[in-house]
Amino acid sequence: MTWVDAVIQGLLLGGLYAQYAIGLSLMFGVMRIVNIAHGDLVILLALIGISVSAAFGLGPGFIMLLMIPLGALIGWGLQRGILNHLVGNDPLPSLIATFGLSLALQNLMLTIWQADTRSLDAGALAIQSIDLGGIHVGVLPLGIVAVAALLTWGLHVVLKTTRFGRALRASAADKDAATLSGIDTKIVYAKATAIAVAILGIAAVFQAARTTVSPADGGAQLIYAFEAVIIGGMGSIWGAFAGGLILGVAQVVGSRIDPGWGILAGHLVFLLVLAWRPQGIMSRR
Amino acid sequence: MTASTILVHRHTLSSRIAITVALLLLAAIPTMPFWASSGQIRLIIELSCLIAIAQMWNLLAGYGGMVSVGQQAFIGAGGYSLFVLSVYAGLNPFWSVPLAMILPALLAAPSYLLLRKLDGPYFAIGTWVLAEVFRLVTGNLQVVNAGSGMTLRAMGQFTAHQREIGLTILCALLLLITVGGTFLMLRSRLGLAMTAMRDDPVSAASQGVNVGRMRFGIYVVAAMGTGLAGAIYYMAQLRISPSSGFDPYWSSICIFIVMVGGIGRLEGPIVGALLYFTATRLFGHYGASYMIVLGLLTLLIALFSPGGLWGLFGKLRDWPWFPVGHRLEYRQRGDA
Repeated sequence: MTWVDAVIQGLLLGGLYAQYAIGLSLMFGVMRIVNIAHGDLVILLALIGISVSAAFGLGPGFIMLLMIPLGALIGWGLQRGILNHLVGNDPLPSLIATFGLSLALQNLMLTIWQADTRSLDAGALAIQSIDLGGIHVGVLPLGIVAVAALLTWGLHVVLKTTRFGRALRASAADKDAATLSGIDTKIVYAKATAIAVAILGIAAVFQAARTTVSPADGGAQLIYAFEAVIIGGMGSIWGAFAGGLILGVAQVVGSRIDPGWGILAGHLVFLLVLAWRPQGIMSRR
Repeated sequence: MTASTILVHRHTLSSRIAITVALLLLAAIPTMPFWASSGQIRLIIELSCLIAIAQMWNLLAGYGGMVSVGQQAFIGAGGYSLFVLSVYAGLNPFWSVPLAMILPALLAAPSYLLLRKLDGPYFAIGTWVLAEVFRLVTGNLQVVNAGSGMTLRAMGQFTAHQREIGLTILCALLLLITVGGTFLMLRSRLGLAMTAMRDDPVSAASQGVNVGRMRFGIYVVAAMGTGLAGAIYYMAQLRISPSSGFDPYWSSICIFIVMVGGIGRLEGPIVGALLYFTATRLFGHYGASYMIVLGLLTLLIALFSPGGLWGLFGKLRDWPWFPVGHRLEYRQRGDA
């Protein structure tokens, strides 16, 4: 029973990782760019949310409504101001630029919020749980997984059916041909990054409500998002979602075996997938 | 009638001066214990390790096209090798230093084979995950005293003066191997292939360069050089712990030094290391604000001057320090 519980808790934890991962997967799929500051942006949005909530006494719902547009704005600015100048075949410039950004952001947050861990008060929601045949399932974590699934589905539908989704897929497949067909790829890229960071705005509020955040946490979040993407399969949005859940299960089951081995177990699952099925578990290849 | 000759030569006045100065400086380092203070010696040890680690990162990213944010994996592996060899095998720490390159090489080979499956930028994050794996495993291993780290007690058998002599000799050798070795390698046939790979891996492959095997070789060699530097650095520290040896900050330093100095050039990491080293002495006490500036500077360099300071300087003056190519000189002679 404890193992069933561990798996369920892992799935619930994985919902958060899935939310980080879909944005990363979207950006890589469209631009072949990895934003090293991805995790730091989660932390930045979470810390802003916590401070705004404390200053104006707003609940997590309101904060999320604020963080989504703020995230979109940051993403748009990031793409227009920095990343659009660096999209290309060579991965080096965008990696270095976002690495510099990550270093600067982390230390900026350290200056503003100090090294303390903080969290968002989610009120009664934080402790409510449902009893599923002896296993307690938190309402908030369940909501996180549901939102992650909804986001994945929504993004999938947008990519498949809308005009913007077609433009996005066209830009991903062949930038020059897309431009010839009248698509302004720079705008498309900016929208993609705006969506990716807006999703981080949702993830940030959930992260802050569910656990704690501190300025140095960004690197770990980036690594989890990346592992989720690779486990699920590069370029697949549903893969990123599944990868997040698997990573969560690996971490929780690992930490039940030995508290020191939780995060390591997640890394090991990632390495195993890389060794045996580098195309990811969701890939049909 | 006129006769003309075309001269092919490698060296310039600037390179002759630079190489002479470099060799004199290298020769001077081991004499430091006889005239310099131990504070100055510590600084030189740190600077040597920075140059070596940055040069290895340059080899990896600049020539191999493999951006790593996980070189701390090999710094820690080199450092821990030294401590384990001296504590458990009872070897003389100074003789253990060259042996400390074995573990990084053994770890690098399978790491590369796993990571090469990852595409471009994902490769970089993959190196970070591996470094984290090494850190977490080390932190859980009781043999190496888990999270509390190890102390190099064997150094107690030497006097401070003996330790300084040993360390300065090691530093001179480290620079000779990492900078001099890279220089000689780049001038060889192998170097031609590496330079072709740096400029365009696809066309290099079309000219018969085995890009995959070259990358494997570069990854392992860079790991060994980085491990050597790690061993020397932590020998001077006398202490190592998982959180210091495998600190991701090492990668930040590598990236800053090489990008600001100038990637894909031998001179770049040296210029960058001198700059970082001086800046840290001057502004390091500003802590987080200093790091914000380092981060923004890296960002700006990536945006506006991908060749770094050495690239900018190269536009003004063609004064190479370590030329790896040849230059042509056209001389007209005769009675006209």
